[in-house]
Amino acid sequence: MTAAALKSADDLETRLIDWLSRCALGDRQAFRQLYEATSPRLLGVVAQLVGRGALAEDLLQDVYVRIWKAAGQYRAGAGSPMAWMAATARYRAIDHLRSRGSRPEVAISDLPGHAGSEDGEDDPTHRMPDPGPGPAKSFEAQSEAEAVNGCLGTLQGSQQQSISLAYYQGLSHGEIAVHLGAPLGSVKTWVRRGLIALKACLERCGWSEATS
Amino acid sequence: MNLILGDLPDRLAAEYVLGTLTGGARRRFDTLLPAHPTLRNAVAGWEKRLLPMALKAEAVEPASRVWNSIESKLGWAAPAAATPASSLMLRFWQAFAAVATVAAVVLGTTTHVAPTGAPMIIVLHATKGTETLVAGLSPDRQQLSIQPLQKVSLTPQQSLELWALPKNGAPASLGVISSDKLTALDKRALPKDTKGLAVSLEPLGGSPTGAPTGPVLFVGDLTL
Repeated sequence: MTAAALKSADDLETRLIDWLSRCALGDRQAFRQLYEATSPRLLGVVAQLVGRGALAEDLLQDVYVRIWKAAGQYRAGAGSPMAWMAATARYRAIDHLRSRGSRPEVAISDLPGHAGSEDGEDDPTHRMPDPGPGPAKSFEAQSEAEAVNGCLGTLQGSQQQSISLAYYQGLSHGEIAVHLGAPLGSVKTWVRRGLIALKACLERCGWSEATS
Repeated sequence: MNLILGDLPDRLAAEYVLGTLTGGARRRFDTLLPAHPTLRNAVAGWEKRLLPMALKAEAVEPASRVWNSIESKLGWAAPAAATPASSLMLRFWQAFAAVATVAAVVLGTTTHVAPTGAPMIIVLHATKGTETLVAGLSPDRQQLSIQPLQKVSLTPQQSLELWALPKNGAPASLGVISSDKLTALDKRALPKDTKGLAVSLEPLGGSPTGAPTGPVLFVGDLTL
């Protein structure tokens, strides 16, 4: 990411925080500005899980109603405003998927960050990723997004696959198991260990949880 | 944070954010969240960690109906008696802009009383010449805006000042207004017995005496 892009990301972050705090005070114009600035992104997040179209737009309405109503709680929870809003969008889409028990079919090979399946990695007791020197040095000076993507890339294939299916398609453990033709217990382990490894990798990269 | 497998709050938060915490467990977690800062912080941490994955999704421009539906779901679509000042202002400006255009071509009318709930539009005619100013007054009379339809020529040492004309007594200043742009005079309650508005030519910054000192350039009636 270039310095200019980083600055503009910071500016957006500042504006989002400002709009959210004004929303908490009932400022509808701030809400409209927040919507204009973020709705294409959030609709993208929802559409990734439920597909494009009227359903995604209906769910997006609920997302913004929730953001308006919860804007006052946002500060208490800290975290980045975009992370909170994107998560709110994902939760709504996931709730919908769970309640309907259906979702559009997407080939695994279409998923972003898909590393391809690797033979011999279906053992749930498979070792954790090599903690060794890790990617710390190479990611030190890079953006958080690059660190996350880099760390995802270090995960064992089955872990990465399971996490990608959960994240990008909103699949549950059981659905991932069906999708991969793997035992439920294995999938649960892959997801859990993948998340732990992801966090460990990010901490090695000097990832900070603090809000900007 | 310790990364042992037994770090249950963080593990639950991670699976909650990922979406693999499902069913009753997810609902219980939702219930616990508001009262447990540790869980909330853990969730916020994971939301941030996974955000770059969410942002890989291609942005999709929503149809315009989405915003309208959000407003409707929040109960904003219909005019309400008790609404926050900001939204009232927004509706006011929107209505004002629409009606001002109409007023501009109906200069023969001195006043146009809009339906209840909408802003009142007041047309101020030049005492000499053909220039016109249009003012809008919010239904609760708390917000007043005024805009010249043509730029009023002033020297750098002159200002335009808006006055409320009461039935009895001296004009009350409502402030200096722009000679070419919309001036919003919010939170300036119009005196109750105001029967009209006037704009006078004043020294830069407005009348030094609190009463009009220059010629009155525009006058409009306020019929309630």
